[in-house]
Amino acid sequence: MRIKNHPILGEFDKGRTVAFSYNGAPMTGCEGEPIAAALRANDVIIHRYTSKEHKPRGIFCAIGRCTDCVMIVNGKPNVRTCVTPLEEGMTVETQYGLLTQEEAEAKGAVL
Amino acid sequence: MRRVELAVVGAGPAGLSAAIEAARHGVEVVVFDENQRPGGQLFKQIHKFFGSKEHRARERGFRIGEDLLKEARELNVTVELETVVSGIYDGLELVVTKNDRVEHLRANAVVIATGASENMIPFPGWTLPGVIGAGAAQTMCNLHGVKPGKNILMVGSGNVGVVVGLQLIQAGCSLEAVIDASPRVGGYGVHAAKIARTGVPFHLRHTIKEVYGKDRVEGAVIVEVDEKWQPVPGSEKDLKVDTVCMAVGLSPMYQLSKIAGCETVEDPSRGGVVPICDEYGATTVPGIYVAGDVSGIEEASSAMIGGKIAGASAALKQGYLAQDVFEERYAAFRKSLEQLRQGQFGHGMKGKKITHTQEGIEVSESLLCRGFVDESEILRFPGIPSEEIRMRGLTPVIECTQNIPCDPCREACVKGCIRIGESITDLPSLSKEVQCTGCGMCVAACPGQAIFLLNQNYSDGEALVVLPYEFQPLPEAGDEGTACDRSGNPVGKAKVLKVQKAKTMDGTAVLSMIVPRELAMTARFFRPSGSEERRA
Repeated sequence: MRIKNHPILGEFDKGRTVAFSYNGAPMTGCEGEPIAAALRANDVIIHRYTSKEHKPRGIFCAIGRCTDCVMIVNGKPNVRTCVTPLEEGMTVETQYGLLTQEEAEAKGAVL
Repeated sequence: MRRVELAVVGAGPAGLSAAIEAARHGVEVVVFDENQRPGGQLFKQIHKFFGSKEHRARERGFRIGEDLLKEARELNVTVELETVVSGIYDGLELVVTKNDRVEHLRANAVVIATGASENMIPFPGWTLPGVIGAGAAQTMCNLHGVKPGKNILMVGSGNVGVVVGLQLIQAGCSLEAVIDASPRVGGYGVHAAKIARTGVPFHLRHTIKEVYGKDRVEGAVIVEVDEKWQPVPGSEKDLKVDTVCMAVGLSPMYQLSKIAGCETVEDPSRGGVVPICDEYGATTVPGIYVAGDVSGIEEASSAMIGGKIAGASAALKQGYLAQDVFEERYAAFRKSLEQLRQGQFGHGMKGKKITHTQEGIEVSESLLCRGFVDESEILRFPGIPSEEIRMRGLTPVIECTQNIPCDPCREACVKGCIRIGESITDLPSLSKEVQCTGCGMCVAACPGQAIFLLNQNYSDGEALVVLPYEFQPLPEAGDEGTACDRSGNPVGKAKVLKVQKAKTMDGTAVLSMIVPRELAMTARFFRPSGSEERRA
């Protein structure tokens, strides 16, 4: 899904490739790009499930406004993945419902 | 408490322009922005802007963004990023949050330039992963270099829909269709024509019935609507797409101005609820100004001028600018703004049906209903040379048929072959004696990619068609392929004679192809052989 040789922008100036984990599975992305972009490049587009109806949600606005793309990142819930830069070794997990930090920890979110 | 002379909220085109203008007169300016990078939405704008030179026409948005940042730096404007202004209270006191830390500061004046957010329409399946805002698609492609999807449906044919539609194709996605419930294309016809000639169908009078898929988008059903906007039974079409882009308008983000106590008004012509402001951007709260999309949805070009007006007003109020100097600058800004608001897409024109151009020429119905000018309509426009001239040698063919404020073509021709009347919204025409050198500068300069060069008498039975080309892989001289008409339908064989690239063309390649002579006024796109055939 990564764009190679764009007709106007040429090659994208991306950060170095780093490893992170998605629901425990190893993945790679570019350092500094939004977590959501790294996930999209790995064909992951479901970020969370809603609390009442358990419906999947993914990126909608991609600029940090709509909060549809929140996930649990490094054990912290409700992180907007479209505006949070990817760092080496991050743990990224699907979020189920709205969580407080305590609930996330109780559910064993920190892998 | 920290004190600043001017606080600007939002580092997009309006906010940065306000900051630059105020700082130029000596005002100490701090700009706050919640994002990690300044520039607002400018850095995802990779198309060439319309307007005149003073509006930075024919420059791509992201380059304008780079220049604004450079200017702001040179004038010692402070830009504080990842900083949220969550409230403005009595006496222009701002509540600013950074790194989960709250700070209060007092400003002598505030410019609110918070921009706009994307609208959404609900339908069954609208929350499925894969249904995204058109702005989100643009962010993913142009900022992060990741395709938002493979097969995409664009909902909305306004400028956002057609501009992002092209950018998706440039990113390597397959744009399956553009739909709009309106009977007419909402955006500039030239933008629509760029994607129509690649073979993308426009389904006007169509809305989305549902998006389906187990836990992500697997397809979309569109349906025709009648005059009363009701679905026509039996007219459903199932499109196999994995992504649906919503380009159904923008709404001003007036919330901060409301917190600050500015009176607001609902004004559909400006995009919804907006703070009440005068021609200087001054709101009903003394010292608070608004600029850009928050004060009414427009283009980035007008947002920049609105920003300058607000910045100059804030400088005037604090005594950094003499009244007469202000008046002079304001008059120039106003004139520039008025120019951009002219024409058939200008102020107060939304929803109005246009039947004739300013010149009294009947508009192209095909452009409005199908996204491209039909060959049978094109000859009546002033940029199209007569057959006699086309047979005499190389000549520009300007397929510009709507009154849009734009004039880079006039300056692009070193021989002065292209003329535009008094108003920049006049349709371009050709001088009597066309002396085309074939340099291709007009082809590359036109932000609408509506200028072609043509020699109908290139050789015995062949014509030469020169066209703008912004796709990868870039064809090379000698390549063979298919000539397509304005709707993307294959019409015959084509051979690439040469491909010109130059720094001044800024990424727009100028491709010359040889086609059978009878296709001279038909062939307007080159499809390399081996590239995927599009569905009709």
